[in-house]
Amino acid sequence: MTTVMLVDDSATMLMSLKSILTKAGYTVETAGHGKEALEKLSKGVKPNLIISDVNMPQMDGITFAREARKAPGMRFTPILMLTTESEQSKRTEAKNAGATGWLVKPVGPDQLLGVIKQVLPGA
Amino acid sequence: MPSLLRRITLTPAEPAADQGVRGDVVAEALEPIPSYCEVVDGHVHDVIEQTGDAAHAIVEQLVKVDSLAEVMAGDVSQLAGTLSRTEGELSHISASNDQLVGRLISYFLHRDHQIRALVDQMRELNQHVTQIEEVSRATNILALNAMIEAVRAGDAGEGFSVVADEVRKLAHRSSQAAHGIGSSIADLTARLDAVLSDDSQFDSDEPLPAQTEETAMTRRLGGIAGAQREMSDMVAGILKDTVNAAHQVQRSSDALISETTGAVAQVQFQDISRQMLEHVAEAVGDVARQAADIAAYARGELTEEELRDRSINVESLRAKHVMARQRATHAQQTGQEAQSAGEPLIELF
Repeated sequence: MTTVMLVDDSATMLMSLKSILTKAGYTVETAGHGKEALEKLSKGVKPNLIISDVNMPQMDGITFAREARKAPGMRFTPILMLTTESEQSKRTEAKNAGATGWLVKPVGPDQLLGVIKQVLPGA
Repeated sequence: MPSLLRRITLTPAEPAADQGVRGDVVAEALEPIPSYCEVVDGHVHDVIEQTGDAAHAIVEQLVKVDSLAEVMAGDVSQLAGTLSRTEGELSHISASNDQLVGRLISYFLHRDHQIRALVDQMRELNQHVTQIEEVSRATNILALNAMIEAVRAGDAGEGFSVVADEVRKLAHRSSQAAHGIGSSIADLTARLDAVLSDDSQFDSDEPLPAQTEETAMTRRLGGIAGAQREMSDMVAGILKDTVNAAHQVQRSSDALISETTGAVAQVQFQDISRQMLEHVAEAVGDVARQAADIAAYARGELTEEELRDRSINVESLRAKHVMARQRATHAQQTGQEAQSAGEPLIELF
């Protein structure tokens, strides 16, 4: 079973994305911000993919991506940034922090699932 | 979210003694407010437009969901109607078939009983054969005795001797005939017993001899087989209809899921609108703070320099934008050239 961790401070976004991914057969873990997501990783949650917002309280998505890469077994786990942010400098910052891709909200279900298949070809 | 307006905390400077309020300074402080408000106004309209578009898209998808649900309900109702009608017909045919099979079983049992009675009667015929054989033996002895008496009578008994010999021959033939009848009856009853007690041929894989002769019984059995075929055809038809209806429901269900998923995805507008409105609220807070600063300056609580240092700037607002649309609206509202958003919406590094 492929597990996707969703990190977003918007409960609506979490609910919406979780619904789309669950219907597509994925197991979903959620976190309200980067810090909570890191805590889950440290407690042994091992997602096959992380989809994270960028602008969040407590810990933003780019910092989270950077810290997540240091967690055991997370070096090669794909991390997609799903955000309203469109600034190129932010994309570069995310890429340097270890993010795998950048998706600008809103993203349609087919687009999102298509990208997931690209980064998780075997899933 | 706590109101950003309430988060504004004024930190007025110490009252500036003997400082006159200069109109040009006030005007200068008021000057950025209209353009600031125009940008904010543009963002608010963006949110209104975006919310309207998203609501429209959601309603469109809900209308499709509604229509698909209606189609599905129709399919299910039609299937239920077909199944209900067929159930009635099947149960009628099944009852009729049960009745026919029941009568057939009774009929076969009755025939079996009759045949067994006939076999018993045939066995009883053996007693008569035994009697005939006894009569033949006695007649034969009688003929022999008559022949002895004829010989003893000499020439006078010659004719009688011929008759006695013929009687002896008749007795012999009667005995042979009785023996033949007895053997045939024994053979026939043995074969009938075997037929009645052995039904292994029914379960055998060997094909039974084809019966081409039409009798009342074959007609009856043909009728039962026909009813059975009709029932099987009906069941096959129902299954086909049910499978087709199930496929139709599956297609409608898939379309329904796709539409509801699409509607769920549209809810992302809430997150986008929320962030845009947070920026708007922050900008409105900036304007409120500027107004409070001007009032503080007018009251002599803020110096010209402090007022200028704290003054809002429409370009500082631009730096806070995160979305391409916010930047485009800002450029449009401030009369600047919009930078094309060349970045792809989806990019894998």
